[in-house]
Amino acid sequence: MLGYIVRRLLQAVLITLGVTLVVFLLLHIIPGGSVARAILGPRANALQIAQFNRDNGLDQALPVQYITYLGQITGFGSLFAGHGWQINLGYSYKLNQSVASILVQDIPRTMLLVGVSTALAIVVAVPLGIYQAVRRNRIDDYVLTAASFIFYSMPIFWLGIILIVIFAGGLLHVLPSEGPQGTTFGDVLSELPALILPVASLSLVTIASFSRYMRSSTIENMVQDYVRTARAKGASNSRVLFVHVLRNAMIPLLTLIGLSIGFIFSGALITEALFNYPGMGYRFWNAAQSQDYPVILGIIIVAALATVIGNLLADVMYAVADPRVRYSK
Amino acid sequence: MSGASRRAKALVVGLALTVVSLAGCGASAVTVNKSTATFAEQPGAAPNYIFPLASLKYFSVANLTQFQFLMYRPLYWFGENGQVKLNPQLSIANPPTFSSDGKAVTVTLKQWVWSDGQPITSRDVEFWQNLVTANKLNWAAYSPGEYPDNVISTTINSPTSITFNLSRAYGTYFFTYNELSQITPLPQHLWDKEAVTGSVGDFDKTPAGAVAVFKFLDQQSGMISTYDTNPLWRVVSGPWKLKHMDTSGNVKMVPNNAYSGPVKPKLTEFDEIPFAKDTSEYNQLKASTSVASTAVDYGYLPFQDVPQKNALSSIYTFVPWSGWLITYFPENFTNPRSGPIFKQLYFRQAMQDLVDQTTFIKRAYFGFAYPTHGPVPLKPATNFADQVEQANPYPYSPKAAVSLLQQNGWTVNPNGISTCASPGTGAGQCGAGVGAGAQASFKLEYASGLPALDAEMAQLKSDFALAGIELNLSTAPFNTVVGNSVPCVAGQACTWDMECWGGGWIYSPDYYPTGDEIFSTGAGSNSGGFSDPMNDQLTLASEVSNDVSALHAYEDYLATALPVVWLPTIYSQLSEVNTHLQGTQPQDPLLQIYPENWSWS
Repeated sequence: MLGYIVRRLLQAVLITLGVTLVVFLLLHIIPGGSVARAILGPRANALQIAQFNRDNGLDQALPVQYITYLGQITGFGSLFAGHGWQINLGYSYKLNQSVASILVQDIPRTMLLVGVSTALAIVVAVPLGIYQAVRRNRIDDYVLTAASFIFYSMPIFWLGIILIVIFAGGLLHVLPSEGPQGTTFGDVLSELPALILPVASLSLVTIASFSRYMRSSTIENMVQDYVRTARAKGASNSRVLFVHVLRNAMIPLLTLIGLSIGFIFSGALITEALFNYPGMGYRFWNAAQSQDYPVILGIIIVAALATVIGNLLADVMYAVADPRVRYSK
Repeated sequence: MSGASRRAKALVVGLALTVVSLAGCGASAVTVNKSTATFAEQPGAAPNYIFPLASLKYFSVANLTQFQFLMYRPLYWFGENGQVKLNPQLSIANPPTFSSDGKAVTVTLKQWVWSDGQPITSRDVEFWQNLVTANKLNWAAYSPGEYPDNVISTTINSPTSITFNLSRAYGTYFFTYNELSQITPLPQHLWDKEAVTGSVGDFDKTPAGAVAVFKFLDQQSGMISTYDTNPLWRVVSGPWKLKHMDTSGNVKMVPNNAYSGPVKPKLTEFDEIPFAKDTSEYNQLKASTSVASTAVDYGYLPFQDVPQKNALSSIYTFVPWSGWLITYFPENFTNPRSGPIFKQLYFRQAMQDLVDQTTFIKRAYFGFAYPTHGPVPLKPATNFADQVEQANPYPYSPKAAVSLLQQNGWTVNPNGISTCASPGTGAGQCGAGVGAGAQASFKLEYASGLPALDAEMAQLKSDFALAGIELNLSTAPFNTVVGNSVPCVAGQACTWDMECWGGGWIYSPDYYPTGDEIFSTGAGSNSGGFSDPMNDQLTLASEVSNDVSALHAYEDYLATALPVVWLPTIYSQLSEVNTHLQGTQPQDPLLQIYPENWSWS
């Protein structure tokens, strides 16, 4: 298992480097005119554009730019230059901050929003899916299935607006209409009521999705031979359900949870924008709109790493959930 | 339920509603017991640079007029009572005096002080001058040949008097409104150093030292989260100083008790709040339930929500805010294919004849825009705007457009593509460089994400089609459109015909609307490469003359010569101001804010 994890981690590094290469090339070959002009605006004259290009190394050949960037993000650039090993994700063209400092402030906020929503979704969806499987094709299953489909098919932006109108608008006016504005994790936590609506809008849709998977998986497992055997040996319903079925039924959900780790780091663009919650998703959107390449690349690197690690964790959790799964080769 | 019972119930409900609505009407009589006010920042436009000598990366309303100006007052303040003019009361210096040959300008400072009690002196002005001269490529407003290139030297006459010696004679209007307007005295006694631990000296007096000082201050300005604690930024000249600021754009300011200006803040705190999207801001406005509980006291209505503007009227006063700006989009005069067509004045006239600004304003902008007919903004009314421009030289007339094309050798195919049937440079022919069969078909890329602009461009396409001028529309993000709109270089690919970023030019901090940076031959911001010797000559004349008629001559010429396609100018902001927040009107066309004037009633 240890060897497998090490191999996968090495793969993760290679995949991330591959992602940086592809994204770097795409950013520089897509049509879009002069980056300097786009950043500096219609007032920029030729001298100012040349100065910007010089300051940001954009006057060099593309391969040189990429190798310089690679040296910067891996820390080898500064190491070879004799300044010690310093990882540097670059400096935003527009935000007057280093990319690292932007990520440091945005990642915790996004993790809090998406992480809490995902955790809440798991906590609710797993028992809900099991309950629906046990009560399948009965009236309560039909009602919950209908509710799941409604939330699953509902666009998040629309659900968010509805929640704002009901809970923050004139109807009830019990919760703030925007998410926490604090810059630190602690500040955000101190505004917990402000987190309720954004978390709810994300969770409701995720619960709908996860509970459907859980329901199907549980039903599938409940007709397996090992369940019949357990019952024949006199195991109680709850023991069958929570000791035998749950562990196996969780396996498809583990894949979803593993994949959602990338999502937790890369952010929830629509929800963040709707609730004015400054996180990674909305930062990425703004950076893409304003051609802020260092920020785009920084966020992609983090999201790529998180996705690869999330998949690795899912694989490891398979083995924990199902002892028959082994990664010896 | 019987009819009588239903009627009785209806009566009770009616009475209840009447009582509730009367209570609502009475809300305006309440007194709001607040001593702070909050101002909504434009979506995605939070301030992030405090050092007044900002580069173009940080050149924005959010950074300059609505943030830095509150703390660091320019030498000369422009904007008074909603008008574009020099405001002597709010200026740090008395009006400048020009030498008789127009080649020297002397500025005399008033007896104002920094917030630490030190006087604001001519050395602080010289400090700015030295920094901007040595770092001009890093300064947003730099235009080659103009300020600071046109200042040969400065002479300090006394602690309150400084003379600028100029490379040539300038008119008082131009030099005051466009050059002196850009100077901000900086606290030399604190900022003239090269490192945090270094001592203050006269480093700015050598170019290398001035570069090092700039680098240090720029670096310090890069640490947003330290703004409120960094001793550098604690000393200010304006009515406000920073209490707190974070990297998201949350700003809290408190009064500078030592402010020397005539109007002292009445509020105990002024806050700015960032918003990711205008919908988020609008949600905040809608969530307000009373005048006393508004989370945003001075906000704005998104353009797409104008039809719902009455929904906020019990709490907010709706006040459109016009800026000192013009709106247009450039044609690419340097495109080898379409450039020769655009160079024909008759063709540009035909295109302008097809721009139905009245309909655009009504349909796309719900009435919250005003026409642009030339290089000088028509709002607010000033003596800079001449009759010719105000009268609109090219009112909407598809018939006139068709006639112009036909008279100049084109076969007009309404709703198709008109073609040049008579090439040549003689009378009745298409003009130089326009070959036989040349097609009136052009690409027009415009900024995405703006529903009103979508509507405007769709209408423009339809109107141009009436004269057989085909517009192939496409959208791209604002920055991409701006990035594309540069003159083509011979020998390199040239792909654009027209680019519309949904704006034009804001005359700030160069307030005299001479357009030397946008329409003169080779000017840095002349996106389409327009070149006209007569325009260059008139522009130069407007810079050296002390008479506003020189500006009118330039303006009248460009209004008819059409260097770009003029489009309606939308209001810069549809403000929603808490009905109990006093002192906010009139809004400044230079997009400055004056929270020191605000108070609650």
